[in-house]
Amino acid sequence: MVLVEQQTILSKDRLSIHLHDNVKKLESIYADCADIKFRYFLIGNESKAVLIYVDGMSNVEEIDNNLLTPLMRLELEKEPDIHALIENTLTVSNIKEIQTYDDVVSEVSSGNPIILIDHQSKGISAGIPKWEKRSLQEPTTETVVRGPRDGFIETLSTNIVLLRRKIRSPKLKIKSLQIGRYSQTQVVIMYIEGIADQTLIEEVQNRLNRIDIDGILESGYIEEFIKDHPYSPFPLMLDTERPDIAAASLLEGNVVILTDGTPFALIAPTTFYSLLQSPEDYYEGFIIGTLIRWLRYVFLLVALLLPSVYVAILTYHQEMIPTTLLISVAKSREQIPFPALVEALIMEVSFEALREAGIRLPKNIGSAVSIVGALVIGQAAVSAGLVSAPMVMAVAITGIASFLIPRYSASIVLRILRFPIMFLAGTLGLVGIMLALLTIIVHMCTLRSFGVPYLQPLAPIRNSELKDSIIRAPWWSFKKRPHWTDDYNKVRQPNGQQPSPLKGKE
Amino acid sequence: MKLRSIIENGLLRFFLICSVISLSGCWDRNEVNDLALITAAGFDMVSDEKIELSVLVFIPKGGGSSDQAMESGNGGASQTLVRSAEGKTVADAMAKLQEKLPRKIFWGHTDVFILDEELAKKGIAGHVDFIMRHPTLRERGQIFVSSQKAKKVLKLMPPLERDLSEVLKELSQHKLGLNITTKKLAQMLIGDSGDCALPWITILPPENKEKPKQTIAYITGTAIFKKDKMIGIIDDSVTRGVLWLRNEILLGVITIKPPKTDGYISVNVLQAQSKLVPKIQNGKWIITLKSVSASDIVQNTTKLDVSNPVVLKSLEPLLAKEIEKRIKKARNQVQEEMKADIFGFAEAFHRKYPDVWNKKKNRWNEIYPNVELKFDTKCHIRRQGLTS
Repeated sequence: MVLVEQQTILSKDRLSIHLHDNVKKLESIYADCADIKFRYFLIGNESKAVLIYVDGMSNVEEIDNNLLTPLMRLELEKEPDIHALIENTLTVSNIKEIQTYDDVVSEVSSGNPIILIDHQSKGISAGIPKWEKRSLQEPTTETVVRGPRDGFIETLSTNIVLLRRKIRSPKLKIKSLQIGRYSQTQVVIMYIEGIADQTLIEEVQNRLNRIDIDGILESGYIEEFIKDHPYSPFPLMLDTERPDIAAASLLEGNVVILTDGTPFALIAPTTFYSLLQSPEDYYEGFIIGTLIRWLRYVFLLVALLLPSVYVAILTYHQEMIPTTLLISVAKSREQIPFPALVEALIMEVSFEALREAGIRLPKNIGSAVSIVGALVIGQAAVSAGLVSAPMVMAVAITGIASFLIPRYSASIVLRILRFPIMFLAGTLGLVGIMLALLTIIVHMCTLRSFGVPYLQPLAPIRNSELKDSIIRAPWWSFKKRPHWTDDYNKVRQPNGQQPSPLKGKE
Repeated sequence: MKLRSIIENGLLRFFLICSVISLSGCWDRNEVNDLALITAAGFDMVSDEKIELSVLVFIPKGGGSSDQAMESGNGGASQTLVRSAEGKTVADAMAKLQEKLPRKIFWGHTDVFILDEELAKKGIAGHVDFIMRHPTLRERGQIFVSSQKAKKVLKLMPPLERDLSEVLKELSQHKLGLNITTKKLAQMLIGDSGDCALPWITILPPENKEKPKQTIAYITGTAIFKKDKMIGIIDDSVTRGVLWLRNEILLGVITIKPPKTDGYISVNVLQAQSKLVPKIQNGKWIITLKSVSASDIVQNTTKLDVSNPVVLKSLEPLLAKEIEKRIKKARNQVQEEMKADIFGFAEAFHRKYPDVWNKKKNRWNEIYPNVELKFDTKCHIRRQGLTS
């Protein structure tokens, strides 16, 4: 706490009129910071000045050409005036005056070189940062067949540009704040004025301002701090690497939170159904989009329940499946030494381990692991008589099903919930599965994301929004925006835009 | 502090929930490896006091890997096992049978029940009671009466199907004979007349004399029951007439001989529906069988031009005659000779004339043989086939 107080006192200190004092103070702040460069020079051979920048974060070429060269070659008639220098001499577009030490520190850490001049109580900050950054790539976790291929990167300014290029209206507003005592990470809130509810924006801002942490390295930190239900396993904010998803959410009245240093944007509020949607649902035809959505809903249940249902039926309800099926399952289970529940647990746990190993390992070794895993689990375990072939199938289908869910954060939840359900299925049979399902559904009904019920539009039911959750209706039929909180901008687009041959006569 | 209390609270709840599961759960847990899957069961009369219960148990061997399946692939000889035990009742016999089986008897997939002739003649109601009452036995299972001992039938090794239960199930699915499930049988037994009918099976003589067991049992007719006691058998062609009366006709080929030409015309019945319409007129009990059927010509050995609509139309009354002939034959044997009401006449009268029925129901045995049967048969020949 002492340190924080010191910092706040420092921030209020204005720059001294003497360059000597300023340099002394700044050198003490930047003691043992080998990457901070102090470059002393004279403006017009007379006035003392210093240029401060972080090595490798500023564009040195621009410093040389547009800051140092004009200043050092200046012919001075009188004391240099900051205002005049900015207006006449410095050929840098993004430039501003700074007045406090705190400004100096924050500008320098953002990569903006600072010029301090003797006998001036103000300094100049030139916005010419430059550092190494990753080029735009297609996000590997959210690939699409049809759709834009750019993805967010670790640099905030680039990410903002990506969104600004998609939504050019000046109504797209950006509010910036810093979080993290040491990391001083820049976080921006983006929304579209007139579509996003004002109270929602305030709420997001308030929650973000409450965060007091040493550092934010990923948007996941923020998510945990501002989540409505901190103990719920379900993600209450949507995270994405795709600018098109972020832009689409902005257009629906959501707020996008971008964090410097990570390509993952947070979108609030979100509902459970948005977590099950892929951007491609909207890019391909609506019939295909609808069918693929249904497929996803079915496999959502499969991913959650298949091993449990298999265990429950095989240990409690053998009369429920057709005779021939039971006979072939019985044949394959004849040699298996474990009860069905243990068998299922072994397979599921080793499958999860394989998957985790595959993610951690470098790509070329990762594929080797999956081959070994497939052989060990699939082939060898069956022929050794440790697990039955139908169980391998059930586990494999479950695995495929969990990959069908487009958001990784949602599919992890299903992976976790699968295990308690399996225990319930092994002890209480189908009754146990129903109990687990009821518990999950009741829990989901209690969830809210920034005031929006998690299961909206099905619970509470909103008829006009069902066309974008149960099905994916054609674009020309989306006449209203989704309704998040009380006050909202209803009309998205006018009626009667369905294309037809009659339109040509109008 | 808050987090800690939540964790402590949560742990307590977690252990409570876990203890609930382990204390109350699992009591009827059964692994498939510990179950004796019974696919068919047979009831035989041993003496006046004792019956024998035989079960067909499926042996789940040789499925695991492909090479094991190859070994047992021929003949399926090792796939099933027949075990039997005697007892005063079926339940008693089952208890004794369990002693002889290392795995728990599992009735959930029993689709076929076979009663032997002796037992059927003595009365089946008590045994059907077990099938209906036992919680794991299904009401969907099909019941047959066998001319030989049920145990002997169960021991057959069908060359084409998995086991005998599969054979009988598939055969009755053709609906060429009666198709009676436990539920239907129970309904007939508690019905107004209390008379019932069950499919009658006999063992098909094996083609290969060296392997006498490699054959099947098939439906050759219908066993007719007065109340729950078997009184006679009708053969399969008469059974067809019974099916018309019971509105259970599904498909069949009817051959007619048109007058004034040589040869026959065979038609395939595609769709048939019948309905019993009762009437009491001047104290006379009359039943009208209203039936509508549609059929296609499948063979024509005559010189008639069936593509001519007039000719086609002229065949329809002949077809109706033929159908009526079949039904009359069934009626003669069952109604007049055996005096068993397996057609549901009693129900029909009860529904239409509840008051009269309540007064006369004790005299139904006297009324029934004299109920007159009238016909209202509509036959349509829809298509004449590809060539003509």
